[in-house]
Amino acid sequence: MNKFLKLVTATTVLSLAAGSMAMAQEGPIVIGVQAPTTGSEATYGKDMFNAISLAADEINADGGLLDGRQIELISGDTACDPQQSVNAASRLASQEVVGVVGGYCSGATQPTLKTYGDANIPFVIVAANSTQLIPANPGNAVMINSTGDDQAKTALDFFEGKGIEKLAIVNQGDAYSQDLANLTRDAWTGAGHTVSAFEYVNKGEQDFSALVNKIRGSGAEAVFWTAYYADGGLLIRQLRQRGFQGTIAVGDGSNSPELFNIAGKAAEGVFAFSNPTADFLPAAKQFASDYQSKFGNAPGPYAPLAYDGMQLMAWAIDKAGSTDGDAIIKALNSADGQEWLAGPISFTPQHTLARSNFVVLEGQGGKWTRYEK
Amino acid sequence: MDKHSPPTPTDVDEHDAGRAKPRHPLQKLYAAFESPGRRRALHLTILAILIVTPWISSQYTTVILTNALLYVVLCLGLNVVVGYAGLLDLGYAAFFAVGAYTVGILTQQFGVNFWAAIPFALMAAALAGVIIGGPTLRLRSDYLAIVTLGFGEIVRFTARNLEITGGASGLSHIPEPSLFGWHIDSSIDFYYVFVVLAVLAYIASQRLFDSRLGRAWLYVRHDEDAAEAMGINRVATKLAAYVTGAIFGAIGGIFFSVNLGAISPESFSFQQSVLILLAVVLGGMGKIPGVILGAFIVVLGPELLRDFGTLRLLIFAVLLLLIMLFRPSGIWPEKRS
Amino acid sequence: MTWYDSFLQQLVDGLVLGSFYALVALGYTMVFGVIKLLNFAHGDLYMTGAFAGFGGLSLVSGFLGAGWLGIFVAMLLAMLAVGCLGVVIERVAYHPMLGAPRLSILITALAVSLVLQNAALALTGGQYTAFSTDLGFGGISLGNLFLSYNQIVLVAAAAVLMIALELFVSKTLYGRAMRAVSIDKDMCRMMGINVSAVIAVTFFIGSGLAAAAGTMAGAYYGSIWYFMGFLIGLKAFTAAVIGGIGSITGAMLGGLILGLLESFGTHIPFIGSEWKDVFTFSILILVLVFKPTGLLGKSEVERM
Repeated sequence: MNKFLKLVTATTVLSLAAGSMAMAQEGPIVIGVQAPTTGSEATYGKDMFNAISLAADEINADGGLLDGRQIELISGDTACDPQQSVNAASRLASQEVVGVVGGYCSGATQPTLKTYGDANIPFVIVAANSTQLIPANPGNAVMINSTGDDQAKTALDFFEGKGIEKLAIVNQGDAYSQDLANLTRDAWTGAGHTVSAFEYVNKGEQDFSALVNKIRGSGAEAVFWTAYYADGGLLIRQLRQRGFQGTIAVGDGSNSPELFNIAGKAAEGVFAFSNPTADFLPAAKQFASDYQSKFGNAPGPYAPLAYDGMQLMAWAIDKAGSTDGDAIIKALNSADGQEWLAGPISFTPQHTLARSNFVVLEGQGGKWTRYEK
Repeated sequence: MDKHSPPTPTDVDEHDAGRAKPRHPLQKLYAAFESPGRRRALHLTILAILIVTPWISSQYTTVILTNALLYVVLCLGLNVVVGYAGLLDLGYAAFFAVGAYTVGILTQQFGVNFWAAIPFALMAAALAGVIIGGPTLRLRSDYLAIVTLGFGEIVRFTARNLEITGGASGLSHIPEPSLFGWHIDSSIDFYYVFVVLAVLAYIASQRLFDSRLGRAWLYVRHDEDAAEAMGINRVATKLAAYVTGAIFGAIGGIFFSVNLGAISPESFSFQQSVLILLAVVLGGMGKIPGVILGAFIVVLGPELLRDFGTLRLLIFAVLLLLIMLFRPSGIWPEKRS
Repeated sequence: MTWYDSFLQQLVDGLVLGSFYALVALGYTMVFGVIKLLNFAHGDLYMTGAFAGFGGLSLVSGFLGAGWLGIFVAMLLAMLAVGCLGVVIERVAYHPMLGAPRLSILITALAVSLVLQNAALALTGGQYTAFSTDLGFGGISLGNLFLSYNQIVLVAAAAVLMIALELFVSKTLYGRAMRAVSIDKDMCRMMGINVSAVIAVTFFIGSGLAAAAGTMAGAYYGSIWYFMGFLIGLKAFTAAVIGGIGSITGAMLGGLILGLLESFGTHIPFIGSEWKDVFTFSILILVLVFKPTGLLGKSEVERM
């Protein structure tokens, strides 16, 4: 009897194991999403996660990948902290994800490059764009966001075109906005103009009155805000409330319709540098309205890039024809102008985006419109 | 604090010690580990588990255990300040940062060998300990809290603003160290490095606890004036606590920086300091095994709850609250009187 | 703008910012006074208050409008709701811990803070909520000095709340009991004072003030989010300590000083907005080195 029981158990276990192996071949394609969904950056992390899940849902509704296999997402919460992001990355690697999409804070993204590199997992970095990521990339990652250099150049051209001489630059003391602020300052002074104020605000600070006075007192003709929309909205509001008449421009981290909710009327006539997302392509319009109806708020600045990142990963898996890491990495790097929401994607030998086509947007009637000189 | 204020740790300790027998089931369990023979067996078992774990578990387990061991070092260091000497510190991450940045700057920007940079990092941390300890010696604990907090924030803002620390992006490509031809680079290598550090921190904590200095801390914690009357140098004793704590923190930071290969100001935030303090108090201030337990809880807790997504910290916080309500002196409190 | 105008403008702006800090610092200091707890959840009560005020405003704006009247009523609702929340938190999380080591209560407060923050994160999906009102941008210009009506109303409201509190504490029976409890709890019990009730009232008022500040901040700055309490909690704590923790007048003074320090710090050459916080914390440490109990705090013998 006992023997019989053992036999039955053994057979059951074996057949279950065999079953699960078969499942692994045909089961869902698991993709990791690396984004901060807790902590102070959760606003942007959740945005990215939402956009990626929207893309995955669309792909699944269209019949999935590799003959009908569905995409399944696993969240890897980084909390924007380097330690926690390594934990999250190792967990994703241990769960044998086919690929990873995400990466928001550069500081928290960098140490994960090695983790994914060692496990040979393809990684599409959608938002983090520090130039420090480039040499740390073992070759399995691609960056689909333009780097700060491109944007600083766009800013230079734009402000020069406006005939501005004295520029005030304000950042938020995080890697992304400080980097962009420094690059813009160097470009601006390099072109022989004056940076009349170079300022910091802390994330979560609400009162910018002293700062606004300083900017006004410095005689700045224009203000460039290099960080994100939430605090940017408050700054714009207070600048206009206190009668600052000059030009205000914001970086791509502030390119969200939410800016208009926060800054209200003050956001009219504000300029933004951005990838040519936009609400100009029909697909992008559809995306914005789908996003709004599904999640109850307008897509954030990195939502279109996150969506594109997921689409690119799916495209690469399909092109590779398998879930093999090497094949997918090869396919990713072979991208030659694939385009979803944020412009055509192809890569330099350093695995960064091979184009710089920042455009200038202008806030009009509570939304972003294309600005032509 | 006057005699009518809520009981201090001291009062509770005496209260506990006054009990005839440990009544709580947990206390019975803890007491079972106290006999020297069992203790040795327990040490060997834990060491054996630590050594084999990476070979029988996933890389993820190795990585989060490495993290937990880092916290063991940090928490044991803060325990010297908070648990032994009774000084509140809300800016402990500053020492962690000083260690990490000194090594990061020296190795990455000046090409100094990692092992040669360590003494400099330790000296910098000791100096930081004196700087933070100095002005706080006259202060009551609540003021101590804000001064240490302020110091922690000053260090973080300085790291963010200076060029040599890499600004907000921090330092990257910190070279991995080698030891006698062993190139320490895989996650398992670092795991063993942290096992060694945690074991050393454990032994050092134990030795400090039993030392003359440890008793001096105890007296100062219980009654400063009486301690001074008995010939204990109050100032030197308190400073020694800060410097010791700083060195533990710096050691954690030194190896943290090479483990990640990149450091940035967000690793040394106020929340980091708070998390370390949380682990110490949660586990049981002054009690070495309790503190170690606390370190494991604050690292592994949020990890084990990852499946809950955004809610994981909410659930973790509720669990914390429940633990504190049921074990107000910590999970494994210190009872020495 | 002359330096004189600029100085005056900094003064005004510093006072506006300082009133927020003072209102939040008051709650810290009152709670500290009665149960010697650094209530780390206080900043999150400010955040909760902002959301409660937002909810209140959407309830009443239908018939009262979203102008000053509507905001005022919303603020009262928020104060009531968050005041009750404060009492509940005290009952559930702090009261059972009163006999425990003080650091343990501190950790409990941290846990409460994490609960509030993450609950708000889960409920709002991490989004910033626009706190829209009908308030305009208008104001009075005195030469180069600019004062918006919103600022005037805000400072006036903060002043009224603080004066009311001062009167409550110094003149009423409960206020007297509160002061007595902060001096000697056991003696109060013997004298027949209901200490638990006094603690509850203290939490109610402290939390209510935080909610008032949260609602005003929401209406004034225009957006609220789940993490907004963190930084101001830290700053209010700093303000309370500068003034001398446990002292109500000290908290007001500390708040104003902190607001002025930040406002002026931004303008001092070589400090600027980049080093502003380093400057503030350094001053704080210096104050404590020379005056270890804060500006208005009383010295006490302490044994930890």
